[in-house]
Amino acid sequence: MSELSRREFLAACAAAGAALKLGPYALDALAAPAGAALSIAHFRSSPQDPAAIADEARRLTREAVNGLGGMGRFVTRGDVVWVKPNIGWNRLPEQAATTNPDVVATVVRLCYEAGAKKVIVSDNSCNAAPASFARSGIQQAAQQAGADCFILDERRYRKSAVNGKTLKSWDVYGDVLGVNKLINVPIVKHHGLCKATLGMKNLMGIVGGERNRFHQDLNNTLADLAVFFRPTLVVMDAVRVLTANGPVGGNLADVKRRDTVAAGTDQVAIDAFGATLLGLKPQEIGYVVEAHSRGLGAMDFESLKPRRVEV
Amino acid sequence: MARSKTAWQVWLRRLSQTLFAALFFYLFLQTVYHPVNQAGRGVDLFFHFDPLVLLSSWIASHQVVAALLLSLITLAVTFLFGRWFCGWICPFGAIHNLLTTGRARNAKRRIAGSEYSRWQKSKYYILFALLVACALGLNLTGWFDPFSFLFRGTALLLYPMLDDATKASFGWVYQADPGVGSFKFTTVTEPVYEVLRRHVLATTQPHFTGTLLIALLFAAALLLNLYRGRFWCRYVCPLGALLGVAGKNPLVQIKRNQEACNNCRLCVADCQGGANPDAAGWKPSECFYCWNCHSACPHDAVTFAIHVPGGEQR
Amino acid sequence: MTNAFFRWIKHFFRPPQPTRLDLSRRGVILGGVAGLGTALLVRSSALGEGRTFSPTLVRPPCSLPEDDFLSRCIRCGECMKVCPTNAVQPALGEGGIAGLWTPVLNMRLGYCEYECDLCAQVCPTQAIRKMTLKEKQQVKIGLAFFDKNRCLPYAFARTCIVCEEHCPTPKKAIWFQEVQVMTPDGTLTTVKQPRIDPSLCTGCGICENKCPIADRRGVYVTSVGESRNPKNQVLLDSSAGAGYY
Repeated sequence: MSELSRREFLAACAAAGAALKLGPYALDALAAPAGAALSIAHFRSSPQDPAAIADEARRLTREAVNGLGGMGRFVTRGDVVWVKPNIGWNRLPEQAATTNPDVVATVVRLCYEAGAKKVIVSDNSCNAAPASFARSGIQQAAQQAGADCFILDERRYRKSAVNGKTLKSWDVYGDVLGVNKLINVPIVKHHGLCKATLGMKNLMGIVGGERNRFHQDLNNTLADLAVFFRPTLVVMDAVRVLTANGPVGGNLADVKRRDTVAAGTDQVAIDAFGATLLGLKPQEIGYVVEAHSRGLGAMDFESLKPRRVEV
Repeated sequence: MARSKTAWQVWLRRLSQTLFAALFFYLFLQTVYHPVNQAGRGVDLFFHFDPLVLLSSWIASHQVVAALLLSLITLAVTFLFGRWFCGWICPFGAIHNLLTTGRARNAKRRIAGSEYSRWQKSKYYILFALLVACALGLNLTGWFDPFSFLFRGTALLLYPMLDDATKASFGWVYQADPGVGSFKFTTVTEPVYEVLRRHVLATTQPHFTGTLLIALLFAAALLLNLYRGRFWCRYVCPLGALLGVAGKNPLVQIKRNQEACNNCRLCVADCQGGANPDAAGWKPSECFYCWNCHSACPHDAVTFAIHVPGGEQR
Repeated sequence: MTNAFFRWIKHFFRPPQPTRLDLSRRGVILGGVAGLGTALLVRSSALGEGRTFSPTLVRPPCSLPEDDFLSRCIRCGECMKVCPTNAVQPALGEGGIAGLWTPVLNMRLGYCEYECDLCAQVCPTQAIRKMTLKEKQQVKIGLAFFDKNRCLPYAFARTCIVCEEHCPTPKKAIWFQEVQVMTPDGTLTTVKQPRIDPSLCTGCGICENKCPIADRRGVYVTSVGESRNPKNQVLLDSSAGAGYY
């Protein structure tokens, strides 16, 4: 499918989908065979050696995705995939402000194994992008895994009709709108305003413009983004979590090991699960409640009978 | 007999100027974030070899950064051999040189514009003023140092303009997406843009305040070359003045063949430094060793040679 | 051989005409007076250490105290080029006439990255001193202040705290107090009102940079509290200097 006709196709789908209130990637996901909605992989031990932690992250990611039926359920041959980790901050991986680079690299590899034609890894960083991409280790890890990891071009945002409750029209990164699949790869962190930043908050890295205004109505703006994007898959990094002074952190004492990676198709459920890793109840997270009330997913993630595996 | 082609020394000098200018702009582009938290290597190289920076820094603050001692090499070379630095190395000088070549064709006018003027002494007074201020703790040499001037002008002015123009042009093609038949121009422009983005362009467009003043001064410095060749180098540059003082009595001096010379003064026409290579009397402090006089002389009467001190003068 | 050497040195100091520099006495005196005058003019200006302080003169971290800074900085612009957030700008009036084109931070255009010391790495004269990254993170370049007339939770009873979100210090220098306020339609709501902890704040400016009130920010950084100037302080227990200067 050429670029142009894909756009036409999407436009037609969007028209149809708008009536059904589906995001741009939801149709592709709907086409995939049904399966488990949430899969949680937990490591039995908590190794300290960096190489062992890297290995743990890789294995947990694979097990979590396998628990959903494998990446082949989401990515098909010839797909162009956008893997969206948290590369927001100029921090080291150990400071748990950005997604674990080994989790990201594994997601990239799984996509290629499932037959993806191209995998893009990028994020609209809050700190200076060259520094954030480098210090987080994600640029190197993603490139080694064969992904196209580049810093976003400030001129390529396109005004898009988000048509949410609060966000009507907003700048979305142009290239994102042209890919087949979107995989959200957040890390679980404390947040001063909304208590926890999880998957839906991570979607802020795909938009541009004055995002600093979202916080005046964070519950609705994040739910709007979640409805608009509807990522194909969410892979949640909880190998390390940031328990205080988030989302930037800095103090290693605020980083705790949870040795967990979760994968899911239900954005609300996986965020609800992530909140529990910080000792919070899903009801305490405003945007989780809002998204649940819009029918985007199930806040009570246990009701989805998540597949749990000990690694 | 009449020399019709340019002397090889002049070609070598031009090559040297090109290479050092390229090095300067390469180091400029390297002055950027490298993973992780590293500025490029050796980006200060030109400043380390700049004796004006060393001298002013030391006089004003009584301390020196060790790396600046490399500039003693520049001073020593100039003391021994003359102001080759200005003619062969200085990138700012090379730019002035480039703009100077676009002047009058008429030899008579060129001679009038190139011969020594006593106003060339002004750079020494400027240097002295700056050093006196340094002695009282105020170091304003940065306003006049050629590397500072050039780096500042490039960083605050030229580079942001170039970055903006490049991104705007390629961005326009990307958005408008024109094509001929089924061929889209973006298939060519996008890969080129990617290369530029990776190696030349800035990650985000830089913006600087108060650039109008810098633009006016930069433009003035460059445009004055149309009035007098290498205006900055002759009349303003305090580094040139410092090197002129150091290079007062160099070992490489002009050698004129009195018999062959017919006083046509063509050697003066292209003299970059205003050093009077003709019978008026060569001024070593003003000579850049550009070899234009040697190249221009139709009678092979002018050249440069090692000069035994106190021995036979020209 | 040695004879020739001494003759050469003699010629250096007493060159024959016309190789002489031939500087006029008047020119030298004028030059000297100009240099002397400018230096004295700057020294006697009110804008100097211990007199008035310019709130907008926020220098890069690890900069020398002002007089030393002005004696070393060659206004080359290397720090301006390398700064990854485009925060370092050429001063116009912030540092007086002498400060023209010296580096100052403009927190609306950029901010000082916490995990970065590139400006100190490139400064050719070390007017910005290279320290370890940990030492640089202890240096204060100023302090942030809230403009409660503009900051959203104070002025409009709206939630925000983007400043607190971005604050990079390991223990955040911005904390918040949950306050019950009245909204325009008469109902009560709880908002988080942010405050600065001046003992933790380094003046990095990311709060000012990210504040959504685009024209005049709800939180802004001024130079007071800068480590390099023991006189430009506000806290009694400020550890200005802290052994770095």
